[in-house]
Amino acid sequence: MVSRRTKWLLGIFFGLFTLFLYGPMLAMAVLSLQGPFGSQTFPARGLVSGHWYSELFADSLQGVRDATGVSIRLSLIVAAITALLSMSLGMAFRRRFRGSGILFYGILLSLMTPGILISLGLSLLSYYVGLDTGIYTTALGVQVVWALPFGFLVMTAVFNRYDARAEEAARDLGASSIVTFREVTLPIVWTGVFGAGLFGFTLAWNEFERTFLVAGPTQTLPLEIFRITSASVLRPYVYSLGVLTTLFSFVLIAVFMLVSRASQRRAESAAVKADEAAALPDAAVAAAAAGD
Amino acid sequence: MEAAEAMLGDATMSGAVLATTGPRRSGWVTLGWAGPGALWLLVFLIAPVTMIVLASFWTKTNTGFDAFKWTFSNYGRLFDTVVYREVLVDTLKNAFIVLVLCLLIAYPVAYFLAVCIKSIRLQIALFIVVLAPFWTAYVIRIIAWYPILGRQGAINYGLEKLGIISAPLDFLLFSNFAVVLALVQLYVLFMVTPIFFQLATIDQSAVEAARDLGASPYKVFREVILPLSLPGVLIGCIFVFVLVMGEFATVQIIGGNQIQSVGTIVRSYYTNIDLPAAAAGSSILVAVMMIGVAVLLRFAKLREAV
Repeated sequence: MVSRRTKWLLGIFFGLFTLFLYGPMLAMAVLSLQGPFGSQTFPARGLVSGHWYSELFADSLQGVRDATGVSIRLSLIVAAITALLSMSLGMAFRRRFRGSGILFYGILLSLMTPGILISLGLSLLSYYVGLDTGIYTTALGVQVVWALPFGFLVMTAVFNRYDARAEEAARDLGASSIVTFREVTLPIVWTGVFGAGLFGFTLAWNEFERTFLVAGPTQTLPLEIFRITSASVLRPYVYSLGVLTTLFSFVLIAVFMLVSRASQRRAESAAVKADEAAALPDAAVAAAAAGD
Repeated sequence: MEAAEAMLGDATMSGAVLATTGPRRSGWVTLGWAGPGALWLLVFLIAPVTMIVLASFWTKTNTGFDAFKWTFSNYGRLFDTVVYREVLVDTLKNAFIVLVLCLLIAYPVAYFLAVCIKSIRLQIALFIVVLAPFWTAYVIRIIAWYPILGRQGAINYGLEKLGIISAPLDFLLFSNFAVVLALVQLYVLFMVTPIFFQLATIDQSAVEAARDLGASPYKVFREVILPLSLPGVLIGCIFVFVLVMGEFATVQIIGGNQIQSVGTIVRSYYTNIDLPAAAAGSSILVAVMMIGVAVLLRFAKLREAV
């Protein structure tokens, strides 16, 4: 349907597009490998050297390292909360309920609201109620709001493929709903829950605009990078820092992809099992046993 | 292979609330599952946005505002100088330019991915390549333009070496050009994704039917594929428009202090502890966004009618 020539043209366009997406990052990577006399722009001086990577451990950059620590801790907490809330919302949305439409739009709204509005609004709110903004309170709050729609999407996808017959069987055999959830549902969907958490971690790790006005006195890594950029002339260690955080993000995506594939397989094999085991649902038997 | 196909299908549908796989249950159980998430959104999303609108009508004090002392003076302060109005218009203009550029770039990219690539595996791999930058630090992605656009950046350096220019081009960095370029690169993914999913769901039998009836490839595109992909285009447009209108970090970092947006103005009111004016500036922004989205929706309706 598409002519060969059109296909080629579109392919070339796609290639240029990829260059547009990744080119700046590649230039940054090259410049991060300069020697001690390197500057923020071309020509690159003293390639190839790890100077600006070891510079990250200099005393003057203690702030960067502190911010990295804060970011890791905060992102872990965001990941855990996102995973829990996404799973719980995913369970809720398995059936229609009163207010499900409104809640769905709420989740959509958290994806669509520009960061500065949330950030400013929450900062005003905390001024109004007289509480200070802080990393583990307000910043945590907005980062979860940002991660939640993505985690929710992951869980919706998981539950759409989920075969409820295993649950029914467990219940028929007398397992309570708590036991059914713990012994049947959770083992099938936990990889999805983990994926939702991982998504949350990555988004929190890179979040900037929402956190900007509500982080209190502490800096996260993106905030610290922004502070450095606006306070002084850019030195190549910002590039090496950028390369490292980007690589870290890519590793996280790769893990996420692996996990979501595993979760898919799991859901499918669970469905197959439920098919085969109509006579003797072993998961259900186990559940009933655990319930006794 | 099948799994991948199913995943793509899922991702397309998961925008809709359609799961009915759950067991019957009491309202309390539903509340238990939905409650925590709903509460979180209420506290950290709905309340803050409501707060902006309220505070924009409250009286300014030296440290913040006096709650429930109603006034319109914050809006007056905003419009005393022409700056806010001008910047609002500039921001709208930029949002429009970015929107159009994103559309022009994203559509062929999504079309190539969804229609020209037949292997699902390759399709997913390329889609991930396109999507991956979204998961990387936004601030870093903006800074990464410095070595490309700077006075001695890759472009100027290359052009000078080739003898095309004798002095570096200044308009490349800290300019509106740079801001638009960076914004397109940041937000084009929000356009590619919905268009791609929409194109991927198009029923191939409709395309084949059109072809069997003798339609030319161009005609098939214009009469079948394009109309069917419009919902995706619309979602992409809404996303890009709203997010670009609210931008401030990109403008700040790559526009130097030369370029302003509503976001940077709001930020500077905030830094000068004029919180109600910051709130007023944001409220207007929200109103403009809602009007913009309404216009986009209206436009889509018109298209449907035609």
